[in-house]
Amino acid sequence: MPIRLLSSEVASQIAAGEVIERPASVVKELAENALDAGARALTISIAEAGRALVEVADDGSGIPASELALAVERHATSKLVQSEDLFHISTLGFRGEALASIGSVSRMTVTSRVAESATGARLRVEGGISSKVEPVGAPVGTVVRVEDLFYNVPARLKFLKADVTERRAIDNLVTRYALAYPHVRFKLSEGKNVSLQTAGDGDRRSILAALYGVDVARQMLEVIAEEEGLRLTGFISPTSLTRSNRKEITFFVNGRWVQEVALNTAVIQAYHTLLMVGRYPLTALFLDMLPGDVDVNVHPAKAEVRFKNQDRVFSFVQRAVRRALLAYTPVPSVAPTTLWGGRPSEPREPGLDWTMARETVDGGRPTAEGQPSEASSPTPQPETRPAFNLPLLRLIGQIGSAYLVAEGPDGLYLIDQHAAHERVLFEKLMAQHGMKSILSQALLTPAVVHLPPAQAKLLEGQIDVLNHFGFEVEAFGANTFQVRAMPTLFRGSDPSLALRALVEDFEEDEAPLQAEVEARLAGRVCKRLAVKAGQTLTPEEQRALLSDLETCESPRTCPHGRPTMIHLSVDMLERQFGRKGPR
Amino acid sequence: MKVIVLQENLARGLSIVSRAVSPRSTLPVLSNILIASDEGRLRLSATNLELGITCWIPARIEQEGSTTVPSRTLSDLINTLPADQVQLILDTQTQSLHVQGGTSNNDIKCIDAQEFPPLPVPDMDGAVQVNVADFKEMIQQVTFAASTDEARPVLMGVLVTVEKDQITMAAADGFRLAVRKATLSNAMPSPISAIIPARALNELARVAGDGEESIYMVMPKGRGQVLFRVKDVEVVSQLIDGTFPDYHQIIPRNYKSRTLVSTNAMLKACKQAEIFAREGSNVARLDIKPAQSDMQPSEVEISATSEETGRNETIVEATVDGGGMLIAFNVKFLREALEAVKTPNVAMETSGPNAPGVIRPVGNDDYIQVIMPMHLG
Ligand SMILES: Nc1ncnc2c1ncn2[C@@H]1O[C@H](COP(=O)(O)OP(=O)(O)OP(=O)(O)O)[C@@H](O)[C@H]1O
Ligand SMILES: [Mg+2]
Repeated sequence: MPIRLLSSEVASQIAAGEVIERPASVVKELAENALDAGARALTISIAEAGRALVEVADDGSGIPASELALAVERHATSKLVQSEDLFHISTLGFRGEALASIGSVSRMTVTSRVAESATGARLRVEGGISSKVEPVGAPVGTVVRVEDLFYNVPARLKFLKADVTERRAIDNLVTRYALAYPHVRFKLSEGKNVSLQTAGDGDRRSILAALYGVDVARQMLEVIAEEEGLRLTGFISPTSLTRSNRKEITFFVNGRWVQEVALNTAVIQAYHTLLMVGRYPLTALFLDMLPGDVDVNVHPAKAEVRFKNQDRVFSFVQRAVRRALLAYTPVPSVAPTTLWGGRPSEPREPGLDWTMARETVDGGRPTAEGQPSEASSPTPQPETRPAFNLPLLRLIGQIGSAYLVAEGPDGLYLIDQHAAHERVLFEKLMAQHGMKSILSQALLTPAVVHLPPAQAKLLEGQIDVLNHFGFEVEAFGANTFQVRAMPTLFRGSDPSLALRALVEDFEEDEAPLQAEVEARLAGRVCKRLAVKAGQTLTPEEQRALLSDLETCESPRTCPHGRPTMIHLSVDMLERQFGRKGPR
Repeated sequence: MKVIVLQENLARGLSIVSRAVSPRSTLPVLSNILIASDEGRLRLSATNLELGITCWIPARIEQEGSTTVPSRTLSDLINTLPADQVQLILDTQTQSLHVQGGTSNNDIKCIDAQEFPPLPVPDMDGAVQVNVADFKEMIQQVTFAASTDEARPVLMGVLVTVEKDQITMAAADGFRLAVRKATLSNAMPSPISAIIPARALNELARVAGDGEESIYMVMPKGRGQVLFRVKDVEVVSQLIDGTFPDYHQIIPRNYKSRTLVSTNAMLKACKQAEIFAREGSNVARLDIKPAQSDMQPSEVEISATSEETGRNETIVEATVDGGGMLIAFNVKFLREALEAVKTPNVAMETSGPNAPGVIRPVGNDDYIQVIMPMHLG
């Protein structure tokens, strides 16, 4: 399609705003243009963290000389003609904004050649003023060179962060795009220093290694799920690998990197009760769907999208992640803090540190024994016994009226009877209540709630979700909302507190209300129903508990995220008894 | 101090005032009960600084005096003494109270009466006067609808307004409202409007006894307190600061459907539904079915489902005026509302599944309740 100016009617329907905020935004726009042009290789060079120079060279289709002048105009695009097209966008670009925006705040040179033409063409734009298009010799493809970013907007320059930060933003961005487009070769360098180079052979795990290091990349679990019109691929961290914030939850929707609260929430919800409070997973997930099912025209920097059927996408992502996760969740195993020979005179305390595997590997540095890798994961035959998330356990007995001892194919298991019973009861209750039946209680008088602007903005985008969760909320003037009904889950009755709590959930990316539901259930389970430590169980009761636990979806943690069992592998026992050397 | 009282009088007095004792307080004296000789009677007082209760019992005062006694110790002790005379003798030097009843001799360590917070001495001039039985019924008909959520202090109170010869109590917890009116025997010269803690009113109803006496209520200007006197008991409470929601707007002026049922039958049905609803959602569904023909009279079907427990469904005969409707309520709200209705029949009015439900006793215009419906999100 030729580049054309959008009609003012179409242009006005496009979410507009600040497109270029920092060097990484330039990289993003240029890389997306190259990917839209079908490039197989992107060579990105920067200088001074992108402030002095960002150059992106591609081997894509190129821009015909006759259209070059138009390409740098505002609202000039080859990717969109009429407003209906806005609802079926299959390219990364569609606004016709990027080159114009970049050209107005830098000194930009665009050099391009199409295959049909023997020569290329070049155009310079300085502070928004374009030069004449002149012919030059050039390979097929496009090179956009952006120098002295913000040279004419000193206010912007002031807001840039330290070089390391800006450079890290660029690294992060390019690596993630490389991950999303494993068949495209990416090279990112600053001077002689090449920080990323990918093979373009479709192997995502090797790119993951560039992002997180080899160890972490090896541990990441692969997700592949497909459902009518929806496909999710990529990687998620096992429960033993966590971060203290949500920054490493990466999502691409139809090849576009987005920061989407609902998707992050779905992922966190999938990990719910499997991670300690305040820990978050790492993910690199790629969600694909029909272009018509997602509206990308909602955010000026295209960082957010809106799904036609948000509930469905949400639950699809949540289920897919959960399933992948449960197939691999490891049992915490015992990590010796001192190697063999530590204190041989005390056979009853062989210097063991009863830690959970996940605590020893955070940050991706596994310790000697704490790391059940995929291969040695205690799910020995997942394909033959897919219904169970635990290996077959043979009960040995109860100790201290608090723990069950069992033997598995790969060693000894100690099971906390209280935690295990909590898990069993919790899953039963969750299955009964679930999130399906969120009841809404109407208020006598609507409550008017004021929120700080940032929270208000967040809420505005989520009103539909809120209403799904039993609220009835409508906007009511600037940063003000009116609540007409609230979910019955809240212990308190103050609608403004409830709404604020929920917005905080959104801010924190927590699964909204999930915590409320689960905390209530977990509370009930623990207080009233679960067997306590110190309670002697008959062998029948012990066996019943074990077999109930085996059928649990997540048998390895209690609803509060603490482990239900500790695993002493045969291998470890042998080493502790000195039958084997320490590797 | 040396005082002789009857065990049963002292036990009754202690049980009345001990409700205002604050069991865990950083001020030890608040866990105590003040006992003091007072013009030929023994005065007992307790306070937690929000609520204070005073009670006078007959006594033979042989020597004037006062002290404060740990509430639990004294009450438990007196309750086990024989129904006979009890002698209380204070050793002012050691602040030790000697309690003797039958063959039982006890010395209880006390705290000086000086440390006890002074309770206001009310001036009952211009008091609002209401018959005890009426006042108690009013209280019982509204306080359950008040909130127990500390986050909303205003709603933990009951709005009491007096205008001419009309007294009104209203309570709401954000989801339901109960309003009860009564007529006073004499008109008040100036209007009154105050928010009284529901808890204070409940305690008042508890200690007021039965009978034909009157309750007197005063709110001394600028003190932020309300005082009640009934017979030989006084209750003082702090008022709640704030603005009570304008409930007049909440009460719907009309309805699309009016259902008349037997209060008792409906209450039973609700109690049964609650057995199932309480395990989960607390929801009771009301299916209001107007008469289809003479053969099929109108009725209300009340049902509740619990994933854990099972399902309940009860049919109550009804007279339905208007269209049929399916509406859901928090079953506890509904049950409490019906329990408060004293007439044999009750009317439920509503305009739709999302509209407020109004509950009125049939044949009594002084009482009205509004309950907001629930629905599946
Ligand atoms: N690297 C490239 N290879 C081929 N054509 C390009 C390239 N970069 C830009 N173009 C052409 O120039 C046009 C304008 O690019 P620009 O990035 O300004 O807008 P866009 O990509 O259409 O929309 P958006 O503003 O959303 O990025 C594009 O529509 C495309 O036709
Ligand atoms: Mg573009």
